[in-house]
Amino acid sequence: MNFAGIDVGSLTAQAVVVNEDGIRAFKSIRVKPNPVDSAQAVVDMVLSEDSLSWKDIKFCVSTGYGRDKVQAKGLSQDNMSEISCHGLGAFWLCPEARTVIDIGGQDAKVIRIGTNGELADFVMNDKCAAGTGRFLEVQARTLGLSLEELGEIALGAERAVELSNRCSIFCETEVLHYMQAGNDKADIAAGVCRAMADRVAALVRRVGLDGEVTMTGGVAKNVGVRTELERIFSVRLVTYEVDSQIVGALGAALVAKRMGG
Amino acid sequence: MKYLGLDIGSLFSKAVVVEEDRVLASAMIETTGKIDDEVNSLIDETVSRAGITRDDLNGVGLTGRGAKLSKVGVVKRDDIACVGTAVSRLVPEANMILDMGGQSITSILLDEDGGIIDFMRNDKCASGSGKFLEVMGAALGVKVGELDSFAGGSTKPVPVSSQCGVFVESELVTHVNEGEKPADIMAGIFESVAKIVTSQALKFGFQDDYTYTGGVGKFESVIGGASKRIRGSFHEFPYDPQFAGAIGAAMLAEED
Repeated sequence: MNFAGIDVGSLTAQAVVVNEDGIRAFKSIRVKPNPVDSAQAVVDMVLSEDSLSWKDIKFCVSTGYGRDKVQAKGLSQDNMSEISCHGLGAFWLCPEARTVIDIGGQDAKVIRIGTNGELADFVMNDKCAAGTGRFLEVQARTLGLSLEELGEIALGAERAVELSNRCSIFCETEVLHYMQAGNDKADIAAGVCRAMADRVAALVRRVGLDGEVTMTGGVAKNVGVRTELERIFSVRLVTYEVDSQIVGALGAALVAKRMGG
Repeated sequence: MKYLGLDIGSLFSKAVVVEEDRVLASAMIETTGKIDDEVNSLIDETVSRAGITRDDLNGVGLTGRGAKLSKVGVVKRDDIACVGTAVSRLVPEANMILDMGGQSITSILLDEDGGIIDFMRNDKCASGSGKFLEVMGAALGVKVGELDSFAGGSTKPVPVSSQCGVFVESELVTHVNEGEKPADIMAGIFESVAKIVTSQALKFGFQDDYTYTGGVGKFESVIGGASKRIRGSFHEFPYDPQFAGAIGAAMLAEED
């Protein structure tokens, strides 16, 4: 029996299909202007790629932006907050994790989960771009690097530059000044990753670090930010095998399995 | 007795020659980061416009974000003290200043004699600053100096839901794609700036008699929106409010 989860984010949308054995299929796409269209498109793709049809899905849960609208259109039978879904998805991937740092394209959340993966506490920033994927995107664009390159190149830095601002817009000006002053791109990229990690760390401290820590969301793929966070908290972030961007949709699929199974 | 005041701001650098609380001449250039070159060329330009030479100056005062980077041997002044001095001398009725600069928004409270009682400043977040408006202008393809007239014709401002400049820029792009009029979008952004500025002043403790200073303080779209949100009497700064810091720097040079 198959169960599906749909997670519509600010930049990408994901669908995951699970069965008794675990993850059967997943797909991630760029979002469309409205969440229902994004949900429809990503589900259609994940089904067709795995030669499944709608009737093969016993239960589907939506999460993320417009999760209620997605349900209202009949694409899912229930919906759940992305915070709970990320917690459940992360718990399934790394049962030892009690703190989940989820950094998406437009927000950042630190989620504390209990011994059954249930939500214990969380903090969220969706008001300010600092500490979210958008901060990295703005600085990477100024440096002429892709998001992946930004993290990788930062690892080769000799001496990270100091970004004195928190604000993404003011940091962009600082990055530009460092470039004009002839600073090494790797050192600037490392400064960007460090500034990003400092913002995330401030959010983590608000809810407190507990047990093992893992990261989800698109920014979890950024090795520069991961390394800085590991340095700041003297921890090893728990890794897992699947794409960090599908964790929310995975959590939703697991909820679907529990509800409809 | 003539005094020269310089204000090296984050976006623009300003200079004035002041004599007995009157501005004789002024000049403004974009701040590039070569501070001492800017200081020297601004001094030359301003004294020449005033029809005098450097030797005619009885003193020079320097303020602004870039002041500390200057090696030119003049006394550096606190920018809040400069703005406060300029307002206390030129707008004696005012006991509250809403200063809107390139990278900061500051509410300044003055006592009856024009002395500074207290201030509240946001320079951590670009929201509502001149830099913020520059980013929005760039996204619309309009120079920051032309944004005011650009939005002036709007009858239906498009509301902005974010505060963060990066998120507002995304909203702006979305609105453009949805076919909203650029002038209406910009007018909505100006309303949000007015809200940011007045929220700070109200939180800090708004006073009845107020004035606006700083580069953003000359945007009609901002002060029009701000004035609707606050009660009290507006007293206009008699010169271009962007020069308030430079004027105050000259006045403080005189007080020494």
